Amino acid sequence: MSQQEPGTPDTAAPTDRSGPYVGSPIIMATVRVVMPFVFTFGLFVMFHGADSSGGGFQGGVIVGTVVLMLGIAFGIEATREWIGSRLPVALIGVGMLAFLFTGIGSVLLGAGFLEYSVYHDLGIPHATKYGIEFVELGIGVIVAGIVTGLFFAIAAGLDGGESA
Amino acid sequence: MTPFEIALLALVVGAAVTTAALRSVLSSVVAFGAYSLGIAIVWVFLRAPDVGLTEAAVGAGVMTVLFLLTIVKTDHPATERTFERIDLRAAGVAVALVLVLSSTLFALPAVGDANSAVSDDDVSEYYLDNAYDETEVKNAVTAVLAAYRGFDTMGEAAVVYSAGVGLLVVLDREVFG
Repeated sequence: MSQQEPGTPDTAAPTDRSGPYVGSPIIMATVRVVMPFVFTFGLFVMFHGADSSGGGFQGGVIVGTVVLMLGIAFGIEATREWIGSRLPVALIGVGMLAFLFTGIGSVLLGAGFLEYSVYHDLGIPHATKYGIEFVELGIGVIVAGIVTGLFFAIAAGLDGGESA
Repeated sequence: MTPFEIALLALVVGAAVTTAALRSVLSSVVAFGAYSLGIAIVWVFLRAPDVGLTEAAVGAGVMTVLFLLTIVKTDHPATERTFERIDLRAAGVAVALVLVLSSTLFALPAVGDANSAVSDDDVSEYYLDNAYDETEVKNAVTAVLAAYRGFDTMGEAAVVYSAGVGLLVVLDREVFG
């Protein structure tokens, strides 16, 4: 997970206070250590929301927070180039479509909208439980995409001076 | 009230007042993060861990970062005073409003009261009795959100989706031209 690419990105950054990014070895080391745990916790909250507190929304926000931490530690522009500015938008769309198709799929199988139990006919055990989990995952993907996309969009223009 | 609850309440109220009174916006944002964290603990105390998790992640985490990113773009002149000068008349109106609203507090049931209207309501009784059998999900909150009220949740997801995509389109056009 820890791509070494944004390792020392601050050589090209301007040294005066026009850009907010200041490379700090303490923050970089802390984020490197903490990041896998936060990511795992976010996924846990997302996948385990059906049986304990949490769910797609909270898990998605926590997963999105990982990107925020990377951006603060290694520079927002470097992180944006590493992730790509299209991926968050794609995630938002994929999550929404997953939710929609879960609902339409149960109608196609002859039940009500979002009636998860009919997916049992397709051979999925515990269809209701896994249907709920799948929908929660879709919500999580939407939220994580929006958190990272908003972060990049609001931070854009900070490094480039007065481009806004 | 236990000493822990009193300390928690003091933290939340103190952080809220500090947020309003501090002159530097940066300090206000930090105090606001502390306030959100306190509120998240209050939610856990009120037996609402789902809401507490949301408040901690969104209110204390993401919102603080987004606020910081926004105020980096603004000028922050050096201030000689730490606290805002308080307008006594405005403060009086605010305190009066808080007092009037607080008078309704006595009508609320106690925390965890078994006879409150919420806990002996037919609908919540039904969910608590049948959620596990019907949805095989142990967290009744998730069962209500994703199964019984799945259509509502899809509407919420659609709202988040359209708000997010709209914002991204506007901001990207604003920034990248």
